[in-house]
Amino acid sequence: MPLPRLLRNTLITALVIAAFVISYRVTEADFPRLFRDLPKGRELLTAFLTPDVFTRDLETRTVSIVFPVPCGSASVEEVFPAEGPRLVPSVNCAAPLEKFTLQGFDLQPNSEVVIRWRLPDERTMTAIRTQTDANGYFSQEVQARPIQASVNGVASRLEVDTLTPVGGLKPSQALKDVLDNMFVTIFMALLSTTLATLIAAPLSFLAASNITRKGCFGTGVYYLFRSFFNLMRSYDPLVMATVFGFWLSFGPFPGFLALTVVTIASLGKLFSEAVENIDPGPVEALQATGAPPLHTVRYAVVPQIVPDFVSYIIYHWDINVRISTIIGFVGGGGIGYYLNLSINDFKWNQAGTAIWAIVIVVWAMDFLSAEVRKRLT
Amino acid sequence: MLRIQNVSKTYPNGTQALKNVSFDVADGEFLVIIGLSGSGKSTLLRCINRLIEPTEGKIIWDDVDITAASPAELRKIRRTIGMVFQQFNLVKRSSVLTNVLSGRLGYANPWTSLLGIWPQEDIAQAMQALERVGIAEKAHSRADALSGGQQQRVGIARALMQNPKLILADEPVASLDPVLSHSILQYLEQLNKEGITVICSLHFLDLVHRYATRVVALKDGVKVFEGSAKEIDRAKFKEIYGEEAQEVRAASL
Ligand SMILES: Nc1ncnc2c1ncn2[C@@H]1O[C@H](COP(=O)(O)OP(=O)(O)OP(=O)(O)O)[C@@H](O)[C@H]1O
Ligand SMILES: [Mg+2]
Repeated sequence: MPLPRLLRNTLITALVIAAFVISYRVTEADFPRLFRDLPKGRELLTAFLTPDVFTRDLETRTVSIVFPVPCGSASVEEVFPAEGPRLVPSVNCAAPLEKFTLQGFDLQPNSEVVIRWRLPDERTMTAIRTQTDANGYFSQEVQARPIQASVNGVASRLEVDTLTPVGGLKPSQALKDVLDNMFVTIFMALLSTTLATLIAAPLSFLAASNITRKGCFGTGVYYLFRSFFNLMRSYDPLVMATVFGFWLSFGPFPGFLALTVVTIASLGKLFSEAVENIDPGPVEALQATGAPPLHTVRYAVVPQIVPDFVSYIIYHWDINVRISTIIGFVGGGGIGYYLNLSINDFKWNQAGTAIWAIVIVVWAMDFLSAEVRKRLT
Repeated sequence: MLRIQNVSKTYPNGTQALKNVSFDVADGEFLVIIGLSGSGKSTLLRCINRLIEPTEGKIIWDDVDITAASPAELRKIRRTIGMVFQQFNLVKRSSVLTNVLSGRLGYANPWTSLLGIWPQEDIAQAMQALERVGIAEKAHSRADALSGGQQQRVGIARALMQNPKLILADEPVASLDPVLSHSILQYLEQLNKEGITVICSLHFLDLVHRYATRVVALKDGVKVFEGSAKEIDRAKFKEIYGEEAQEVRAASL
């Protein structure tokens, strides 16, 4: 190998290695962390995998007993029931911070139990939570209040709430919010796709060489629209949304506008290619009958392009659902925005619900658009 | 009366498809144009209704200069000239009836027809045209569900909707099974007998003998023969088709 070439190859190799090293540095690539941080990730993942979807109504029942702290600060004049839902403490009164056992009998079975202090001034303090068994029984160690809890001879009380799920499962608030926001996203995508179609469909004929490119004027129009579509198509919707966002302040509207503009360009290009790919025979035949130009397009071109157009429209609706999710994330409303809020509030289960909804909708749209397009040919 | 006067056509890429071609077609003729592939038959037929603009020469139809007509006048002229194509040129995804009705677009109310609404008499005429070519029961099928022969009959029905005085047929049977050729050409012959002038390009000489009242032959864009089919003897045949050519009969296929 002659020396200059060897030198050149060595130089190129060195540059490539340098480029790799630099990119490794700037992306702060730290692959071992993938494994080191696994436990942290697992916690998050568990939250995501148990989305907040359903709740059940809770029925609350309360039983209470007098329980002076400390002993003798108030009289105990109540009769404790011997049957039915009842609370039985191991002592009838206690000194501050003294520990004793509280038992409950014949309460609601399999329910969450909230044990509370009710002070004479009607304030309540939650002491501890536990659970009843299948017989409605619980036994729990409780600590007395740290300072005197009875005032002017009125005793403090121990109150126990049993929270029993009743009725069937019903959608949780998070699920309702996610569905609401999903609709915003889907319809934002639908509306922008529809508007873009209405604008792009007529314009696409002007950018189709077989329709427009006749004579000086026609050729001018053709190149004008063709380059307009190509230019607009090269902008990323996210960048466009940010630009519109600074102009119109952030919210669903600039996101919608950005999506529409990008979709007009993209559909316009696809549509004009569909128009260019038609069989020219019927066009020639209708020109030969003396049909006016618009009617020639209506009867010879439109029937040929409808399947392609419909398939592109559905395809873009599908794409736009994804893009509007992302635009939402940067402040454009809808499910993306909701997901962003949930993550910022550390509501991981709620975020999980949103993510599941996105996955399901994206998958469904993908499936639907593939099915429809398959049937159209 | 159609007069073709010194018509030449040079395509933008420099191909000279027609060179100074002149002949007259009297009303009621069944004129057949013959010639090898690439001799300029399609170009000539398309120059007549200006689907292709002739570079030079004049085409005069009932004392009207087609070559000088404005776009609006040209559309009026085209309404009276039906055209039938080798590839049928139907809109495949549309119904047979819609394809036939679209032959009426030059006459129809521009607003309602744009919306796809057709008056009862147009629909009746379309059904009648389909009956004439024997496929009325296919009116509501999609055009591409029909066989080639049936599609060409739809093509003829579409031309009939124009109430044409002249029909241009560019190799109307070349895409069909040879045994179907007669069934299609007989429809054209029938129309010709009813007074419609027919100009038709054909490949097989036996078909030419059977249907032509007069023949024009092209070779490399030049008219090399004009006369009756009977006048095409061996020598003329070699002149038109070249030394290598052998006569093939549609009937023998
Ligand atoms: N659009 C075009 N641009 C350039 N040259 C063309 C064009 N159309 C036809 N030609 C050329 O003009 C000549 C005549 O073509 P034309 O189609 O009229 O012949 P034809 O007799 O109809 O042939 P065929 O029997 O194959 O249909 C051929 O050399 C062809 O290559
Ligand atoms: Mg031809």
